[in-house]
Amino acid sequence: MTQHEAAEGGERPPPAVRALGIVKAFAGVRALRGVDFEIEVGEIHGLVGENGAGKSTLAKIVSGAYRADAGTLWANGRDLGGGNPREHAEAGIAMVYQEPKLVPGLSAAENVFLGKTPRRGPFVARREASRRLGEIASTVGIEVDARTKAGDLTLAKQRMLDVLRALDSGADILIMDEPSAALGPVERDSLYRTIEKLRDGYVTILYISHDLDEVVRLSDRITVMRDGSLVATKPTAEWTPRALVEAMLGRDFVVPTRHKADQQEGDEILRVEGLTVPGALEHVDLSLRKGEVLGIAGLVGSGRSTLLRALAGGEPKAAGNLFLEGEPAAWPVSVSTALRYGIAFSPEDRRRYGLVLGLNGAVNVSLTNMQAVTAATFIQWRKLFKYAKQLVAPLGLDPTRLRLSAASLSGGNQQKLVLGRALGAEPRILLLDEATAGIDVGAKAEIFGIIDRLAADGLSIVFASSELEEVVEICDRILVLGRGRSLDVLQGEHCTVRHILEVAFGVEEEPAA
Amino acid sequence: MKNRRSSGAEASQSPGLGAFRSTKRLRAGGIELARTYGIVLGLVVLVAAVASQNDVFISRVNLLNISSQWAPAGVMAAGLTFVLIAGGIDLSIAANFNLCAVIAASIGQHHDPGLAFLAALGLGTGIGFINALIVTVTRIDSFIATLGVSFALTSISQILTGNQAYYVEREDFLSLGAGTWHTIPYAGMVLFGTFLLLGLVLGRGAYGQKIYAIGGNREASRLAGLRVQVLYGSTFVLVGFCSGLAGILSASQLGSAQYNIDPGILFDVVTMVVLGGTSLLGGYGAMWRTVVGWAFIAAIGNSFNILNINSNYQNLVKGLVLIGALAIDAYVRRLARPGAT
Repeated sequence: MTQHEAAEGGERPPPAVRALGIVKAFAGVRALRGVDFEIEVGEIHGLVGENGAGKSTLAKIVSGAYRADAGTLWANGRDLGGGNPREHAEAGIAMVYQEPKLVPGLSAAENVFLGKTPRRGPFVARREASRRLGEIASTVGIEVDARTKAGDLTLAKQRMLDVLRALDSGADILIMDEPSAALGPVERDSLYRTIEKLRDGYVTILYISHDLDEVVRLSDRITVMRDGSLVATKPTAEWTPRALVEAMLGRDFVVPTRHKADQQEGDEILRVEGLTVPGALEHVDLSLRKGEVLGIAGLVGSGRSTLLRALAGGEPKAAGNLFLEGEPAAWPVSVSTALRYGIAFSPEDRRRYGLVLGLNGAVNVSLTNMQAVTAATFIQWRKLFKYAKQLVAPLGLDPTRLRLSAASLSGGNQQKLVLGRALGAEPRILLLDEATAGIDVGAKAEIFGIIDRLAADGLSIVFASSELEEVVEICDRILVLGRGRSLDVLQGEHCTVRHILEVAFGVEEEPAA
Repeated sequence: MKNRRSSGAEASQSPGLGAFRSTKRLRAGGIELARTYGIVLGLVVLVAAVASQNDVFISRVNLLNISSQWAPAGVMAAGLTFVLIAGGIDLSIAANFNLCAVIAASIGQHHDPGLAFLAALGLGTGIGFINALIVTVTRIDSFIATLGVSFALTSISQILTGNQAYYVEREDFLSLGAGTWHTIPYAGMVLFGTFLLLGLVLGRGAYGQKIYAIGGNREASRLAGLRVQVLYGSTFVLVGFCSGLAGILSASQLGSAQYNIDPGILFDVVTMVVLGGTSLLGGYGAMWRTVVGWAFIAAIGNSFNILNINSNYQNLVKGLVLIGALAIDAYVRRLARPGAT
């Protein structure tokens, strides 16, 4: 169904990359469910989809970073069955990562020729290196000073060095994962020109991006993925941004429903005006009512997590006006201040920011509130477990698990530890960042049930997630962020995934046909 | 790597699959056991080997002697355990200890020993506080910051003493180091009292749990509302106090102090903590481990004396033991986590 054109052309050259029936699972969760995929020689092939659709997994299988569980892969006529990254490199495939893989202290030339620097005797032949760098750089129309340290270059230039390194090693199939992320408009334009030059030089490019505008602008063909499957591959002319969003959406997701209050007129408990975090957020306003669940939606890099961290006192450079139940308050620049205000936080990436994995569950739960479980500075272990149990048992966590190290618990149970700790601070406002990421469906349903119950009891909740369906399902209103600014606040019937995507991608409202 | 670990852990939670994995789990359990108690086993082997050569080694008199002789290093190791678990290191402890001993001896020559001891304790704690300020305010890495402080302190000791030793002859000054209670030396009692008290604070105290937390995951601890910098800095103050205490013990034991009391003591102290299994990366360790590491190093040092081996070989053996122990630990860790690089 996907490769309708593939059957027609008998005399076309063989594709640069052909993948058949690619399956990949992580810890039993299927990330790719049998993907058939082709990239033609010399095209820019756009790859789009929501977070978790399987784009990056597919790209990493093509680049050789992951090995497919099943399926076959050819590139430039080679069978890449072995799952050996070196074979992929020898077949001419190179990946340009979001975070450039560079040695910051070495010069641009040394980075590009890393491991095969031109030498004269035991010394680096600097002039020769500069000359060769200039040659390669001019083929793609970029200017790089060979002697500048890589760490001193702009992010855009650093990514270019990665590209040059790939070209120097003879790669003719480049995979670019979000290459324009964190770049300004001018840098983006220069990136686009480079990519077009690359194509003109017969380099094949797989271009992964969340920015539909640039994908439409650059790509010859676009593939849409959803839930680990390929939805469609079509020439760009046959797509519109709207059609792309439709294809990315799908309909077959199941999210437990929350009983939303009909009446949304609780008292305003929190108002934020002009919140600015240098480099991340600019003049963001928001308002939160008692018992309300406010969604925060936005693409990667929109400032979602920074907004929650700033509210939680975790961003020392945050500045803005804060009103708690109408009373002005100093912006919290430490987590303990925010806790005193009654704002508790469950951070994203719970293994990295939420938990101390080596400590047991009970200590993790009581970390914020140690004085509740100590007598004369010594921990009363019975008190500790009782305290933790009383917080997590209502969340459906088996209290015997509290004695195990946090590392050994499942994602859902880890989330309950973080949630329990936040609730232990007896907050008025609860901030949840990616609370349902990486946990199974059953645990997700439990978390939703908990949110529903807490909101019904009058707790105000801010729920940020990259899973738009969940934001839509659980939230009363949705603040959509884009590049650190608030784009819109959606409420009522406008709270749909389509609306969020249209706002986030800047797709204009078209008159209904 | 993290994902790998989590998936393994979740799999082992499901009882149905458990039976099929039991051999794997047994192996993992054995590795964990070896990691936890391997150092204890090593100590037992060492003690048995030395005791088989010489009866004096495990005699009551010799053991009491060890507890007194190795008290200064042990007291510092107890404090350093906190710094390492919090994710830092303090290389200024030896120089701090030395300066405190010099100050105690110089004051103790003509004044009340209580005053001398208090001054030295205050000085050690103050230097710890300066270290704390440097690592938390300027955020200089503790390794290089305390190395710099170490040089400065050694230099101050040299200037104060003019490269001469202070001798103290007052009986009351010497009683702390030389005195005994029913043949048990005061110094040994101070040492084990420190181990016990700090062990309780680390293992049972709210403070200790917070130290584990910031060493295990500093960012998560910050977002949970802990005052990460204050806690981190406090470990340097604590080890500074311990260095002062060690300086007093040493000055009182020797009845003298000069700028280079024991050039090898920094190495000994760091080795005690690390050999016990406390992680240099923070978040993992325990006071009992430091006690075992202390016993290990003290036993090696003592056995050289009673077996009459040329003491020039002593540091060679200590170095090899340390590298060997860490190599075995690293190897066992790789076994415990298949696939991790």
